[in-house]
This record gives sequence, C-alpha cells and structure tokens, in this order.
Amino acid sequence: MPKKNTFARRTPTDIALHVWGIIVFIYLFVPIAVIIAYSFNNGKVLANFRGFGLHAYISGINNDIIISSIVTSLQAAVGAAIVSTVFGTLGGVALARAPKGAWWALGLTAILGLTLVTPEIVDGISFLPWFVTVGVDWGITPLNNGLVRLIISHAMFSMAIVTFIVRARLAGIDTQLEDAAADLGATPWHRFRDITLPIAAPGILAGALMSFTVSLDNTILSSFVQQPGYTPWPVYIFSAVRVALRPEVAAMSTVMFFLTLAALGFVGFVLRKAGGNATEIIKTMAG
Amino acid sequence: MSTTAQPNRQQPSPTPPRPPAAPSPGRAERGISARFFGASAMSFPTWAYVLFFFVIPVALVVFYSFGYKPDEFTAIATDRLSFDRYPEAMTTSFVTTFFATLRISILGTILCLLIALPFAYWLAIKVSPARRSLALALVMVPFWTNFLVRTLGWQIMLSPDGFLSNWMQALGLLDGPLDILYTRSAVQIGVVYNYLPLMILPLFVAIDASGKKLREASYDLGAGKVKTFMRVTLPMAMPGVVSGCLLVFIPLNGDYVTATVLGGASGSMVGQLIANQFNTAQNWAVGAAMAMILIISTLVVVGVGFALLKLGQTITARLNSVPLMDGRA
Repeated sequence: MPKKNTFARRTPTDIALHVWGIIVFIYLFVPIAVIIAYSFNNGKVLANFRGFGLHAYISGINNDIIISSIVTSLQAAVGAAIVSTVFGTLGGVALARAPKGAWWALGLTAILGLTLVTPEIVDGISFLPWFVTVGVDWGITPLNNGLVRLIISHAMFSMAIVTFIVRARLAGIDTQLEDAAADLGATPWHRFRDITLPIAAPGILAGALMSFTVSLDNTILSSFVQQPGYTPWPVYIFSAVRVALRPEVAAMSTVMFFLTLAALGFVGFVLRKAGGNATEIIKTMAG
Repeated sequence: MSTTAQPNRQQPSPTPPRPPAAPSPGRAERGISARFFGASAMSFPTWAYVLFFFVIPVALVVFYSFGYKPDEFTAIATDRLSFDRYPEAMTTSFVTTFFATLRISILGTILCLLIALPFAYWLAIKVSPARRSLALALVMVPFWTNFLVRTLGWQIMLSPDGFLSNWMQALGLLDGPLDILYTRSAVQIGVVYNYLPLMILPLFVAIDASGKKLREASYDLGAGKVKTFMRVTLPMAMPGVVSGCLLVFIPLNGDYVTATVLGGASGSMVGQLIANQFNTAQNWAVGAAMAMILIISTLVVVGVGFALLKLGQTITARLNSVPLMDGRA
C-alpha cells in the first residue's frame, strides 16, 4: 500500500530524474560490457569481432609477458598499499591527535594536500631524475630495483588519501578512551595497539583498498618510473594501444575485473560485519 | 581525496572535543600531545616520506626549469640559471595544444557537473534507502575498473567499423561509418566518462548530508519544489560541487592517456608534450618549464573558478533577499 502511494505521488520531474539515473548507469556500464563481450573475440584484432570463443583467455594465460606484467602490477599494488597504509596510518593518527595549530600538523596537511592537486605527470617527471640521483649517483642500490621504484612512487601517490581517511575516521572520536587507558596504566604502545588501531581500523582498511586500486590503475606515473622487466599491466596495455590491441588484453582485464569485484565484495562484507551500513562504507571509501 | 570530498569534516579543529567537565585543561592538553608517544613524533615517518619522495623531487623539477640542455647527450645542466626555457617552451604547437587541453578540461568538468548533479540528487533523494546502497556500489564499480581498459571499451564502440557504427547505419541514423574516433569529440566523451564517478561521489555525499529535515522544513514554510532546491538543497550541495570540480579538473588537465587512446594524433594534450620532452627529446629543462606552466595555469583556472563562484553566490544572495522580504510582508 505505501509503495502505491509513492508511485501515485510521482511528478514528471521525478520520472525525468529516474530516466536520467538509468541513462547515466547505462553510460557508466556500456564500455565495461563491451570489453567483457569482446574478451570472447576469437579474432586477432580486439576491435574486429571474428567468432565467439575462449581463445583470448587461453593465449592470454600462456603469454609470459602479459602474465609477468599483471604479476608486477599486483606486487606493486600490494606493496604500495602496505607502505602507504603504514605511513598514512601514522600520519593520520598524528594529525587527528595533534594539538590545535601545531606547525607540523598544518605543514603536513598542506604538503599532503599539495600531492593531491599535483598532476600525475609532474610526479612522474620528478621521480625519474630523483631515482637516478639517489639510486645511481648516491649508491642507494635498492632504489634501482624496478619493483621498489613502483612501490615507492605509488605509495607516495596514495599517501594523502590514506592519511586523510584515517584522520577523518579518528576526528569524530573522543580521546577519552585513550586517556582512560593511560590512567589505567597502559603503555603508549598498548594504548595504540588496543585502543587507537581498532577504532581506526575501518578507515585503515578503506585507505589500504583505495591505495591498492589507485596503484593498479596508475599509468602515467608508472610509465616514468618503470624499468625493463618491471612493466606494470596498464603500461603494457598503453604501449599495446600504440601498436596493435589483441583480444588477450580484454580477456585478462575481464579476469582482473571480476577478481577486483570479489575482493571488494569481501572487504565490504568485513566492514559490514564490523558494523556500519553499506552507504557509510562507501562514503568512507570515497572519502 | 578525503579532504576535498568532505570539507565539512575538514573544518573542525584537529583536537577532538573534550568533555566540559575535564578535571584540569592543562592535564588534558598534555595528555593529548605527550601521552600519545607524542603525536608530533608519530608524524615523523610520514613527514620524512613526503619530504624525500615529494617535496625534494618536485623542488628539483622547479629548479631544472631554470637550467638548460648543454649538448645532445646530456639531459640537463644547471650551472647557468635563467628564465629562458619558459619562452622557449611556448612554441606555437605548445600554445595550441595548451589551449586545446584547457578547453577539453574545462568543458569536461562542466559536462561532468551537468550530468552528475541530477544523478546525485536522484541517488541521494529519490532512490529508496534500501536500494541506495546497491546503486552506490554500482556507481563505484567503473571507478574500480582500470580506466585505460574502460577507455578501450569506448575505442571499440566508437570505431568506424564497430558494432555501434553498424547498428546506427542499419537503423538509418547514419549515412556512412561513424566518424568520431580520433577526433576531439571522442576525447571529450572519453574524459567525461572517465572522470564522472569522481564528480558523482562528492556531490552525493554533500546532497545526502543536506538532510531530509531541512527540505521538509522548507516545504512546511511554504516554499515550492524549485525554491527548496535553489535555496536549500543547492547551497548545501555547494561543498560537493567545489570538491567534485577540483577532483575532476586537476587530474584531467594533466591526463594524456585518454586522449591518446581516443584522439590519436589529434588528441595531443599538454601532458603528452611534457612526457615527450623527458622521454624522447631528453630536454628536461624545457619539459620542466612546460610542467610549471601546466601547474600554474591549473591553479589560475581553479582560482578564477572560485572567484566566479563567490561572485555568483553574492549575486544570488542579493536576488534572493528581495522575494524573501515580499513573502514576509
């Protein structure tokens, strides 16, 4: 009965809004549907559909260059998520608990804000000479490893996201619990581990996830810092765009798409168990 | 992303509210900074990281923009500093590309806003709460897919011998093959598509935060739908509009991947020219100068945008004050 009432009250504006909403959803999903459909293309060229089949999947999985670039991407994304989460959590907790007007907190917020508004291409061109200076000229050899370079630069790129998500999560929460723990004789480390971290956990998880996906997506920055043998997946696709795109690219992207969806579903499930409805969770993730 | 998307959370002071009955303010003050193994000490690793991997490298690029390319085999020399690379960077082709990029970014941001505003409004207000979570998750899905791959989806669709072209010809909507791939329009479609979720989410968060109660209060006070939207919902959504525009415009202005995939040779963007200076021409000084021009112009456009916004708000406030007086009289 109430449902009928809402329908009865629908004005032309409401109907127009609904139609618009559906059109936008179609717009958002059509290219993804196209990629999934064309991943079953048995032809040699991605855009030319020549028969339905799983050839692209089979030859994609057996293509060492493709597999190694996907593995590089996943390794870089996991590494970047870990590094940016560790540094970002420390930064976020520090910012949330900073005394009002502390110079170090204002400065860090300003610099992290700057990293958000710096175009990716600028990050790319600054990392390129810097890695050469530090790694080659100063002899800090770990920085000459392609994977390390990807992890460091990707972590820098998402550091601000993690820090600000963790700070936002803690900003709404009183320090009373931490003060109580201190009064009851907990050491600083125990207080951090047993009180602050659990409170910040949803923010930390959301930040890690953002960092992971941002890293997987990263093309411009990666194309500057990548080294032979450590070409990440988007850079591989981007170079293939200029030569010839084969259906394998669509097939492997489809696989990664469904893996990402599964991972997201899992994280959403965990966050839901930890409390909070889906809208809240997505708001946390979206920042 | 987090700061810009939720300006209302950014505003409160970093110190959390303390209970009014705190035994002694001095103790509590110490409690926060000193007890927390010193929040300042805790921020040290993050400080070190951003200094070493952001501030210094970017400062070096600024410094490089004053250097020069000494010979064919050396990318940069900085023993003589000058502003000469800036005029040198502004060749005719750079200036043309620069304005084309700016046009695509500004138009792209406006189109994203026009598409996202009714959509976010619909999502936050018209979709029932039970379905809203699912709808929001669906908005996020493209956001989590590799944007290069999504752009390839458009490349397939827009290609002259693609299925869309064939269907449109079969339906008689087109006389010849679809002639849009590798044009500016294709780039425009692609960038609007790629950056749309970044506009939808902050708008949704802002409209959602504006709350049902305020709108109901507005209706109860006799305002119509249009008036409620213009005077309540839209002003409340303004922080979302601002952060959405920033989130779209800034990365879009430096992007060249979308343009390369969909625009081909005619889709050259400033970002591509900068990359060429570093990768192909090996002229870091000119490349760095171009990057500086890009950053400065981005900031100028953002500044002008804010000024226009302020102007608009002042004008609407003046206009609004008149009918309000009439209504009360």
